[in-house]
Amino acid sequence: MSGNVIKVDARNMACPGPITKVVRAYRKANNGDIIEVLATDPGFKPDIEAWVKRTGCELVELSEEGGVIKAVIKVVK
Amino acid sequence: MSKKRVLIIGGGSGGAILANLLNPDEYDVTVIDKSRYHTFQPGQLFVAFQGSRKEFQKPIRCLLRDEVKFVNKAVSEVNLDDRYVVTSDGARIEYDYVIIATGVHLDYDAIKGNREILNEYGDYFSSIADAKKLWNTLRKLRKGTFFIGVADPLYKCPPAPHKAAFLSTNLFRRMGVHDKVKVILGMPFPHAYPSKTVSDIIEPKLEERGIEVKTYFTVDSIDTKEKKIYSLEGDEVKYDVATVVPVNTGPKIKVTPEKVLDDTGFFKVDKFKLNIEGYDDAFAIGDCSNVPTSKSGVTAHLHAEVVADRLHGLDSVADGRTHCPIVSNGEGTFVISDYNHPPLPIRMSKFKRLQEDIFIATYWVAVKYPKLMQPIFRSYFEATRPGILSKVGW
Repeated sequence: MSGNVIKVDARNMACPGPITKVVRAYRKANNGDIIEVLATDPGFKPDIEAWVKRTGCELVELSEEGGVIKAVIKVVK
Repeated sequence: MSKKRVLIIGGGSGGAILANLLNPDEYDVTVIDKSRYHTFQPGQLFVAFQGSRKEFQKPIRCLLRDEVKFVNKAVSEVNLDDRYVVTSDGARIEYDYVIIATGVHLDYDAIKGNREILNEYGDYFSSIADAKKLWNTLRKLRKGTFFIGVADPLYKCPPAPHKAAFLSTNLFRRMGVHDKVKVILGMPFPHAYPSKTVSDIIEPKLEERGIEVKTYFTVDSIDTKEKKIYSLEGDEVKYDVATVVPVNTGPKIKVTPEKVLDDTGFFKVDKFKLNIEGYDDAFAIGDCSNVPTSKSGVTAHLHAEVVADRLHGLDSVADGRTHCPIVSNGEGTFVISDYNHPPLPIRMSKFKRLQEDIFIATYWVAVKYPKLMQPIFRSYFEATRPGILSKVGW
């Protein structure tokens, strides 16, 4: 069974905007949901890696194209 | 020509300053607030951690010019399409211009245990009475853990928890229990402060003070029986006394149309002109608006000036300027940013703490006589503009 996909657009937001949006999406999410984040703040890459490690979520994808960072997170609660 | 009716909902910094700035020959101004009192909210920190008995609260009526009307009622409904508000006793007030300046709603029921710890220990965030209660709680603490945290990454006055941490360690020193009371600060971000630049300045100071910072820590629930705080990220802390900034939302008012509110209940505004999206006769200023800036009294003050200018026919715009003080014991710094500049690295110093103390001492004058203070604030904000400061430093 696959979960819902929650899209988070944090483009053009400076730190801590993107992580704030991720935290709020995570609060509402259920186990197995997918959070898909787009961000342009370069600090978001290391921040989301550390966040995923802390929460025990799964980082399905972390890529960058044309200055836009895309992170796909599988929620583990 | 009859005067236009301006209705300002909220008599806090933004609402009161705007009311006092508007030309009484041109506008018939009414301020409506559910409280009779205006609180200088940063003062709550000094009450909670220093037992201060300074005048941090005054009747709203005394802060408004004589020509401004004050109505002490709660607003239950705002109808932007038909230009009226309804008060909780069912009365209807019509307007030509409405300015929403309510501040945030503190939702102590959003996470489990938050209201219980407020009732049990008090806090430094909601009222002077609760700040007094926290002062009385902390003075009895002889050992253990004092936890300071937030229930959501978006809350007004971003440096408030850090100020609370600094000031509490000072109190524990004065009580002679600083080696027996551990202060833990939980923050949802990858570092101690939302902005990395500011974190780099204050993290060594927090460490010096023996304050333990837990990053990626958003309070999710509080077990008041076991005295344990659980974070959304999966961590937990055992506490003896805890204070948690509740979830902040937009005001609890029925708004027509609903589409002018974002998903947290904040008013969607043009971030420059501050009018509510789709309306040229309705504005939202300060904390209740969705501008992408820190929620603070300084922002509300600057918004009031922009809206006053616009109602007087000038084309002023908000630039997203913040100027949030962070104080420790005897030192201070400011978080300075605007729409085009992220926060600057500004070192902590005794002189900046003095500046903050001057702001506090002149606060009531600034609210009641904004025109008198305008040249001082204008020069100050111009001299400390992020674009200028980043070149010359401070």
